[in-house]
Amino acid sequence: MAIYPLYMKYEDYNIDDFLMDDFFIHWVKNPNDNNRHFWEKWLEQHPEKRDIVMQANLIISSVHYKSKPLMNDRRYVEAFENILKADNNSGLKKTKMEAEYQKPKFPWRGIAACILILFCVGVCYKLIFSPNSISESSSHNVTMIKRANPPGKKSILTLSDGSKIFLNSGSEISYTSGFNDSLRLVRLVGEAYFEVQKENRPFVVETGNTKITVLGTSFNVNQKQNGTLKVALVSGKVHINDQEGNHMQLKPSEMMVRDEEGAYYKTGFDLLTITGWKDQTLVFRENSFVEVKEKIENWYGVKLILQGNINTNITYSGTYKEESLENVLKGMLYTSGLAYKIEGKNITIKKAI
Amino acid sequence: MQNPLHTKDPSIFPLKHSESIKQYESRTDNDIWRAFNKGNEAAFNYIYRIYAPTLFQYGGQFSKDEGMLQDCIQNIFIDLRRKRGHLKEVNNIKAYLYKTMRREVLRSIKRQKRSSFSSWAHDDKVFPIEICHETKLIQQEYEMERKEKIESAMNLLTPRQRQAILLLYEEGMNFKEISEVMEFSEVKSARKIIYRALASLKLIIKNRG
Repeated sequence: MAIYPLYMKYEDYNIDDFLMDDFFIHWVKNPNDNNRHFWEKWLEQHPEKRDIVMQANLIISSVHYKSKPLMNDRRYVEAFENILKADNNSGLKKTKMEAEYQKPKFPWRGIAACILILFCVGVCYKLIFSPNSISESSSHNVTMIKRANPPGKKSILTLSDGSKIFLNSGSEISYTSGFNDSLRLVRLVGEAYFEVQKENRPFVVETGNTKITVLGTSFNVNQKQNGTLKVALVSGKVHINDQEGNHMQLKPSEMMVRDEEGAYYKTGFDLLTITGWKDQTLVFRENSFVEVKEKIENWYGVKLILQGNINTNITYSGTYKEESLENVLKGMLYTSGLAYKIEGKNITIKKAI
Repeated sequence: MQNPLHTKDPSIFPLKHSESIKQYESRTDNDIWRAFNKGNEAAFNYIYRIYAPTLFQYGGQFSKDEGMLQDCIQNIFIDLRRKRGHLKEVNNIKAYLYKTMRREVLRSIKRQKRSSFSSWAHDDKVFPIEICHETKLIQQEYEMERKEKIESAMNLLTPRQRQAILLLYEEGMNFKEISEVMEFSEVKSARKIIYRALASLKLIIKNRG
């Protein structure tokens, strides 16, 4: 495969040289066994270059398109069909664009276009409205199932199609038993991890005004009351739509985030931080005191009460697998000079004397 | 050579050729292109699946007119299919298609400008760059400031410099591929444009303090 560049060459490199080096960029963008092995070894031998290398790495990996227009499904399929159609119909070579600039030679073209548009409107109307009517009519004779976890409780459900849902504490999920013929629809408030069985009926998670559509994948959905939403894809593919017409697709290891202001963006994510909860692993990654407090309260179903003047400007990191509340509190508070007292569901936290 | 991510899950779309990905993902570009030239439909299917969405995104850097972008992609593939049997060898499909897309989009924009509705394509605004660190870094104020500084400096570069930077860092293309897409006669020119962009970037950041 790739040829190993000479070790020597990189010793005199400054940041610009790294920023322009194919082999270096390739490692940042498409790490594989070959280049990873090389750079890890090289960095070991040249620790003094670590800072420069990390800086260059950061710049390269942070440059992105600012606007990321997505080819939506309609355009994707329509273009594909038009391409195939053009084969049999040499007259249809160029599409709309050029037609605008050519004076129409035959008035009946306009008429044909009108008929075509009417036809399309009809098809769209059918497409848009018929699935709704199906789901409404069939939902009359099926039962609605609702599962809700209070803080401190997590559960795993297996659905009739074999899909598995891990439902986090303080979360709620509802769906119709057996779903219907064309759709597997569940509604979520809070956080859940989905392992969806692949089949022809799409699996849709509705949360707030957002729909997440998949066929068979694993992903985590975390919706909070303040309006934020995070959808993290572990495997497969998901499509996300909201009522305002925003649309996004995720590839594995991508996460969609909607922040409090309603802005959408994509990022990567750390698997353990996002999905650790389903394996009973409580993870803090540079979380603020407020975030840690919220997480613990939800995780153990307790209330943390702060007493006295406590510095909340600290961040915490830590991983606790199947740990008791006491051990988590011990680990966390010890380092920050705080003490705790457990009284039933209430935990008082104050400065250690 | 490269193995681009599959941007469309075959099973979600009503095209019954999900096999094409399995069949072609490990083959070289040259192989795939030859099969396409011979009229192999699975090869065409594979190329469309892999590249239509990324061509759309790349073309979207020149113009926000999504209808036009769709038309460009359509026209490119219609044209290629017509010429099957006489297509020249292609060793790097991505670079070749990006080049073709760039031409097609620029041609369409020119045409639009000629017509009376020319609200698109503010030339200096094409290829805007976003600096997007991992979220945890951004939380730190210092990093946030730095990010904004670099981002605003990047967007003061010329559109061609930005395009080259994005092809290099976002698309992960090498200098040879960049010079094909941007139609430079020599690979050297691609290196030069990046070199100059980095130099001006430093200057801009320095002058602003």
